[in-house]
Amino acid sequence: MLRSPSIRILSYLILLFLAGTMIIPLWTVVATAFSTKFGSLQPGINLWPNPISFEGFDTLFRRLNFVLPFANTLYVTMVGTVAHVLLSALGGYVLIQEDLPGRKIIAGVILLTLTIPTQVILVPLFVVFKQFMLLNTLLSLIVSELVSAFSILLMKTYFEQVPKSMVESARIDGAGHFKLLKDFYLPLALPGVVTVAAFQIVHKYNLFIEPLLFINDPQKITLQIALQSVIQGESSTSTNDFIAPNVTMAAIVVALVPLLIFYPFMQKYLIRGLTVGGVKE
Amino acid sequence: MLDRIRRHWMLYLLIAPILAYFCAFLFYPMAQGIFLSTQKAGLLGPVGFIGWDNYAKVFSTPAVWQAIWNTLIIAAGITIVGTLLPILPAIALLQITPDWLKRGFQTAIYTPYLLSWVIIVGIWLNTLSPVGLVNSVLEGIGVIDAPINFFADPFWARPMVIGLTVWKDVGFHALIYLAALLSLSPDILEAADIDGANDYKKIRDILLPHLMPMIKVVFLITLLGSLRTFDSAFLMLNGRTADEIRTLAIFTYERGILNFDLGLASAAGVVLLVVSLMISAVAQVVTRAEREN
Repeated sequence: MLRSPSIRILSYLILLFLAGTMIIPLWTVVATAFSTKFGSLQPGINLWPNPISFEGFDTLFRRLNFVLPFANTLYVTMVGTVAHVLLSALGGYVLIQEDLPGRKIIAGVILLTLTIPTQVILVPLFVVFKQFMLLNTLLSLIVSELVSAFSILLMKTYFEQVPKSMVESARIDGAGHFKLLKDFYLPLALPGVVTVAAFQIVHKYNLFIEPLLFINDPQKITLQIALQSVIQGESSTSTNDFIAPNVTMAAIVVALVPLLIFYPFMQKYLIRGLTVGGVKE
Repeated sequence: MLDRIRRHWMLYLLIAPILAYFCAFLFYPMAQGIFLSTQKAGLLGPVGFIGWDNYAKVFSTPAVWQAIWNTLIIAAGITIVGTLLPILPAIALLQITPDWLKRGFQTAIYTPYLLSWVIIVGIWLNTLSPVGLVNSVLEGIGVIDAPINFFADPFWARPMVIGLTVWKDVGFHALIYLAALLSLSPDILEAADIDGANDYKKIRDILLPHLMPMIKVVFLITLLGSLRTFDSAFLMLNGRTADEIRTLAIFTYERGILNFDLGLASAAGVVLLVVSLMISAVAQVVTRAEREN
């Protein structure tokens, strides 16, 4: 688009620098994770583990409580995402019914929820979750963003693009709401469904405030909380042997693996979603 | 009308669980927060109405003013840098020609947006540790004499929160800008070429004005997001940095959940909400005025 070589060179420099701030720290994490305890304690620039060792991972899985939090997070992520996608689809479906009396009011109520951020109502949320007896349950993490205005509106945007004529003929043939959703809207708006699911998977996987607030039972903690305690060195093992950087970095690598597997398939949808919505959270 | 409502009973039934959910888990906690903020806190919960006393206490507590100040400084830093900096990579991405390279850069700069704050702080704790990569390089080339302890230095506390937040979001914002830039008709740039405009003129007179509406949108979502900074500052909080980066959201958590002072914490939460709502309202007015112009 622009012509001068200096702009081209500058563009490469900017992007190389930014990409470098991503790739280099991540690489040093991997390099440290595969070092021995002694190697990971060496000061300086360690860009290659010498010697390569799985000591960090070994310590992580044998000595620290890391498998259970992982399983808890996977459970919350899977159940929570499925529920979130279904409810958002229902909401989007109702909002595209143009002849529904009160549709504007319903849309208004849903939009109003966008003005109440979780971080602002932390204390009352704790009180309310206590009243509903959800404290110290994994259910609390599924409930905490069961459906969101953002996802409902995203679904609505995608559903609106489904041709009316196709749906109308099925409706005249006597298809009910669930059948219309299942056979027409969900398959035809599949990119929208995948986008909502992708964002929700990332959201649930990264949950931090909610488990911090609602859960203190060691059997129910999630990956991010376990990871935080490893990083801060407060392990569930004895206090007199400290956690070396190779263990901490191994924990980060393990936490990154599901995202790295999931990312290549979902990148298209994650990027499309943000340009469709243009809204954060 | 009544007939239409009756005909659509099924749709109301479908939306009912969603509305019930929002009532139970958003509006009700919100109302609880306002209720609790007018109550005297007892050991087992609220013990009686005390009117505005909690609010008076909120504004007479120096720690609250410190938290408000911290929140505003951090929010200002994140909003200004986080809105303007991503313009550079967005324009830069336009110049990259092999498609695979462009996608590679996009992926690399967008990835931090998907990582949790725990992972981000963990990654940078490693890279920025006193014996880590950055300090070793800076010492090696003679910029500093002694390693900087980025995560335990009051001077660096706020720049760290601001810097890492900007770093996390830079790819996300750059891609929003890039999408807007791609909607610009190539004819306009060609016409500018014919008129003999140089690249800096094109950026200043065509690209930036075209980006302006998106810059405003990003500015507002960043501002609203940064006012509720919690995870990032919470994870970087320690004895040496607490006074610099304890935001209002963290303050309500510490007071309400850890010290169980529900009344004061709820009042502080309501203050934060009112500030956010006022900013949203201003945002609404501004965007509406924009649309009418």
